[in-house]
Amino acid sequence: MEEVGRLELIRESLVAVVNEMRANVIRSSYSSIIYEGHDFSCALVAPDGRLVAQGVDDNPIHNFSVPYSTAEVVRTFGDDIHEGDIFFHNDPYTGGTHLNDVLMLFPVFRKGRLAMFTATRCHWGDVGGMTPGSLSGRVNEIYQEGLRIVPTRICDRGRMNEAWLTLLFDNMRIRHERRGDFNTMLGTSRKAADHVARLFGRFGGEALIDAIDELIVRAERVMRDRIAGIPDGTYHAEGYLDSDGHGEAPLRGRLALTVAGDRLVADFTGSSPQTRGPTNVGPAMAFNAVASIVKSCLDPDTPVNHGSFNPIEIVNPPGSFLNATLPAPCGGMVECRALMCGLVVSALGKALPETRVGDLKGGGNHVYVSGPHPDREGIFLLYEYPAAGTGATARTDGSHGVRAFPEGDFNAVQSAEIVEAQCPLRIESYSLREGSCGDGEFRGGLGVRRDVRVLAREASLSVLADKNIIPPFGVAGGVGGAANRFTVVRDGGTIEPSPVPGKVGGFALEAGDVVRMETSGGGGCGDPLDRAPARVREDVALGYLSPEQACARYGVVVAADGGGVDTAATDAERRRLRASRVLAEAVLSNEADGDGPRRRIALPAELARRLEVEDGALVELATPECGAALRGWAAIADRRDLALSAEALAALGARAGDTVEVRRVHLAPR
Amino acid sequence: MSKGHHLVGVDVGGTFTDLIAHGPDGTLSSAKVPSLPGEQWRGVLAALASLGIAPASIGAFVHGTTIATNALLERKGARTGLVTTAGFRDLLEVGKGRRLVGGLFDPAWQRPAPLVPRDRRFEVSERLAADGSVVRPLDGFDFEGLAEALRGAAVEAVAVALVNSYVDRRHEQAVASALASRLDGVAISESAALTPERGEFERTSTAVLNAYLTPVMRDYLAALEAALAEHGISAPVNIMGSNGGAMTLSAAGERCAATFLSGPVGGVTGAVRVAESAGALDIITFDMGGTSTDVALVHGLAPRMSHDNQIDAFPLKMPQLDIHTIGAGGGSIVWVQPDGTLGVGPRSAGAVPGPACYGRGGDEPTVSDANLPLGRLPVGRALAGGLSLDAEKARAAFRTLASRGTEGDPAALASASLRIAVARMAGAVREVSVHRGFDPRDFTLVGFGGAGPMHAMEVAEELGITRVLVPRLPGHLSALGQMLADLRHDAVAAWGGRISELDIEALRARARTMHEEGAARLEADGVARDRQRHEFTLDVRYVGQSFTLPIPWNPGDADWTPLRIAFDTRHEETFGYADPANDLEIVNVRLVSIGEVDKPAVDFVPRGTGDPLIEHRSAWFGGWRETPILDRERLPPESRIDGPAIVEEAGGTTVVPPGWSVEVHRSGALMGTGNVRW
Repeated sequence: MEEVGRLELIRESLVAVVNEMRANVIRSSYSSIIYEGHDFSCALVAPDGRLVAQGVDDNPIHNFSVPYSTAEVVRTFGDDIHEGDIFFHNDPYTGGTHLNDVLMLFPVFRKGRLAMFTATRCHWGDVGGMTPGSLSGRVNEIYQEGLRIVPTRICDRGRMNEAWLTLLFDNMRIRHERRGDFNTMLGTSRKAADHVARLFGRFGGEALIDAIDELIVRAERVMRDRIAGIPDGTYHAEGYLDSDGHGEAPLRGRLALTVAGDRLVADFTGSSPQTRGPTNVGPAMAFNAVASIVKSCLDPDTPVNHGSFNPIEIVNPPGSFLNATLPAPCGGMVECRALMCGLVVSALGKALPETRVGDLKGGGNHVYVSGPHPDREGIFLLYEYPAAGTGATARTDGSHGVRAFPEGDFNAVQSAEIVEAQCPLRIESYSLREGSCGDGEFRGGLGVRRDVRVLAREASLSVLADKNIIPPFGVAGGVGGAANRFTVVRDGGTIEPSPVPGKVGGFALEAGDVVRMETSGGGGCGDPLDRAPARVREDVALGYLSPEQACARYGVVVAADGGGVDTAATDAERRRLRASRVLAEAVLSNEADGDGPRRRIALPAELARRLEVEDGALVELATPECGAALRGWAAIADRRDLALSAEALAALGARAGDTVEVRRVHLAPR
Repeated sequence: MSKGHHLVGVDVGGTFTDLIAHGPDGTLSSAKVPSLPGEQWRGVLAALASLGIAPASIGAFVHGTTIATNALLERKGARTGLVTTAGFRDLLEVGKGRRLVGGLFDPAWQRPAPLVPRDRRFEVSERLAADGSVVRPLDGFDFEGLAEALRGAAVEAVAVALVNSYVDRRHEQAVASALASRLDGVAISESAALTPERGEFERTSTAVLNAYLTPVMRDYLAALEAALAEHGISAPVNIMGSNGGAMTLSAAGERCAATFLSGPVGGVTGAVRVAESAGALDIITFDMGGTSTDVALVHGLAPRMSHDNQIDAFPLKMPQLDIHTIGAGGGSIVWVQPDGTLGVGPRSAGAVPGPACYGRGGDEPTVSDANLPLGRLPVGRALAGGLSLDAEKARAAFRTLASRGTEGDPAALASASLRIAVARMAGAVREVSVHRGFDPRDFTLVGFGGAGPMHAMEVAEELGITRVLVPRLPGHLSALGQMLADLRHDAVAAWGGRISELDIEALRARARTMHEEGAARLEADGVARDRQRHEFTLDVRYVGQSFTLPIPWNPGDADWTPLRIAFDTRHEETFGYADPANDLEIVNVRLVSIGEVDKPAVDFVPRGTGDPLIEHRSAWFGGWRETPILDRERLPPESRIDGPAIVEEAGGTTVVPPGWSVEVHRSGALMGTGNVRW
């Protein structure tokens, strides 16, 4: 009788270990990015790298890569792992995220056999490299991003390799803080290992390991059931990053997601080659993104363990920016992961319409304003990563300016009062960015606008953000949100601080300048002309949309007195908007449609005229069934129908003969 | 309290209203009546009437209320407006970009709507800098236009929250008073008057919560006062505050958001009193009710405080006892998860229909139901207190689980459910102990609330705790705590700087002002100066850090040395290192002003005589055991019982598992001692 409930008790106990690890890290850390930013995660991992347990607050960006790193450590050291050993790792090419995320693996033995690892991955504020903080949009190779740690035994049977540690810390900024980060991880790991050992004592070692296996098997069974419920087939998606920070060319990511019975294969073949800039990732991140989205869309409720991941297979040939090799820098990991999350959402949405989600900001939105402190020794630094609107789903609107579902939950901006007390800056305003939502039957959330005035004589601005040129996409006929935008307002005029929008390196600010951050809106879901007029009226009443926007984008006419919807006028306006849509029949073409990374869309001249677009303009194709709208650059053609390659049709999720809507892509709220 | 009078504590919960009264002859009496949603004061009167206490004999009255909590959770607060600095109208809605509640792995997650929608949020053209200097003056602002807009929005309450008002309240006060004079009958909450601390989002959110609740709270307090007067009760009535002290009705009507923990706080202060008389100084309170469980850590009889709180999805920057609540209790529903394992909660059967065994239509098994198939609750016989439970309904509910893909007979499933629930409870205790740097094994677990005594020893065992205390009248401990509460005011000033640059005399001057204000407040409450205590705490950190530690401070200190030593020591204890070479920075000055009330020496010793044995029953403790069922009323002081045993009393059942023994302490409490199994 005591056997019933045993699995649950063991799971509860394992999660308790991880929760205690988290609390230990927060309490003992003295680097603010950890104790305030909570930029770290903890987990328990089996000796073969399978994820056993994580806490409720742990960030999948960190944790879903831990199995990869652990497997690499085990591959490297094999039988040569002993009690008292400790391992370190941050190398993106063998399972790391970016260099700042340092992983400590602490083996736990039972009766002389390796039984488990405790894993602690913390974002270190600096790991050496070209610039303070180590992350920069201007790097050319990974050596400029800090020290790379391949699987390394830092403690050999209880003997710490002090020489190695000294070398490490001596090559990082704010040495004592790094020492503190290290001590935090060490203390946390030791306590967790003791805790796990007590669990072995309590439940019996074999029984505990059997229970872990059973929990993993059960989670796998649930996931396989859910996958088996998806129609077999291959679902395609493609999407872009704006640029690698150096050139103006975008980077294209491609995904073929195959559902075969109870298995999923995510194939990223055909994505752009790796780049000189920071927008690359190693092999672990593709798995990370696929696992995060698949878990969210198919089985969010079963507590996280490796079973949910077992049915997922990744194909990702090395050499692309989504599986980069030495010496590609990898600081833009968050941007690449966001792109891949978007690809999976898009492909999965074609297979399972109820899981469709509009796109979001697509990256870190890192903004740094810094300079010499006028009143004190040293510099001041404002570091923020403003949130944006989240995507709509088939039954819900997105939310305004908030962290999205595949991200950990921490503050995106600081208190104006704290900033103003510490820096020669004034936060002039912090508001919703009206009209920035992606339209749809369900609309995306609004982005935010934040104006920061510089009061110091000199300061500089750096930004690492994506989706400034190619905005978030809409799904199922929904429209994309407004793009991110980072500008400087000087003497009433607006200045672009970089030739590559969103990638700013050390732009010189003057006293009185206003740094304006405008974040993207979430992508919409479904046809905006199908949105309930009462919801549009509500959006107008709250000022999320102007009456003009409601009319032009949703066809909803709100009575002049600000009251109700004018139903007759709305019906007429919606009919007019529907009729004025630029539609074309898709025909299959055998012509190549690539222009480097850019997809070329052969746009009939007549349609181009109606859309008022010129050659080379960014346009998108949409159907009511498509996952994400398909983006491409217009190549005006002397023909009447819309010729699309088989590849383009697949990425759009359409067939020859289908009617396809062609739209301009707007960057700003219109 | 004057002699010949009753001292009364009333705790209004979601389901029941509990009342406890201390009579002039030293006896304690208690009552439990159903709560009446929307008219909590009726339950209060009904409870008083059921005890037959003459209205005129009531000397003092403290009341724990869930008015604020219910109004918020049901979103039945006032139609509220918000006035902010120009450029910050949307701050309330976007915060700092955090989700704050859930959302990971949930694409359809939506942020809870703000309490004030965008069309009721207005901006004022004004701005102060961080040093209090005026960047944009308020002169010439069109208050009439603003008032007209607020009238047009038909608001019943307004929050005013301006950027940097924590440094200088001039503008905020000017806006508030301009509106007060123009908006008749509209309650106005000023952010810095409620919490003059840095952090515009948290302060705005606090002011909005307060404004949102004010009309509801004032209506309730007025109805209560009128009803009491009508029934001839003229004793002063106080409301229990979240900070662990009582507040007068007028204070409660001003600082409504300071009453969210009114009920649970009573339990903690009650537990402290009971523990003190039983000689336990370090306790963890374990208050398990129907839908939730509250735990708190008390070190040296002082409950820990928390200044940055969150209620629902909304930050609240007001001092509260550091009580951790989890949404699991006796009514938590047991279910089968997708992978075939059992889940306990977070769904709850609530008061209606309640657990299956209540026979009120609930058919899903709950934690409370699990105690029946295991023989821990009586079958076919009413509990002391009169409640009859339907064992067959409980068993049937567990049988339905077996049909949903999990294995085991009802008893096995019930046992599993209890162990999972116990593990969950242990997790909550870890949260307030291990996660805050304390070892729970150094503490005594105090189990109370409807379901606490039934599970306390097993929760203790899970944590390695070897001492458990179960107070008398465990179902009424919150009411008891309220009855014994002192009056309390908390004040804070955002004042400070680096101690190398600060003049200690300036701090003393600041402290004198705060002390005088606190003393005057208590005097206005009717507390003479010789019954007042005033205690200062400074929020201190190393220069460069952004979190602070609270350090008690004595205004009599000659220099900074005692603070320096206290901080370095505390930092070392908390974080494992100190940095004596680094300068210290003071961020806030806090003052707690306590007005002592007369507290009787409460006598909990049971009065019953005769054989305590009610019956023997087979109960499951990892095996079926013949278990004596005992009547607590008849257990003589200093007697000792070895587990397994079950002790029943009105409003509570204490389960003593094998390996535990219980002694009846001379104060009346049950003191359990256990062996640690792992």
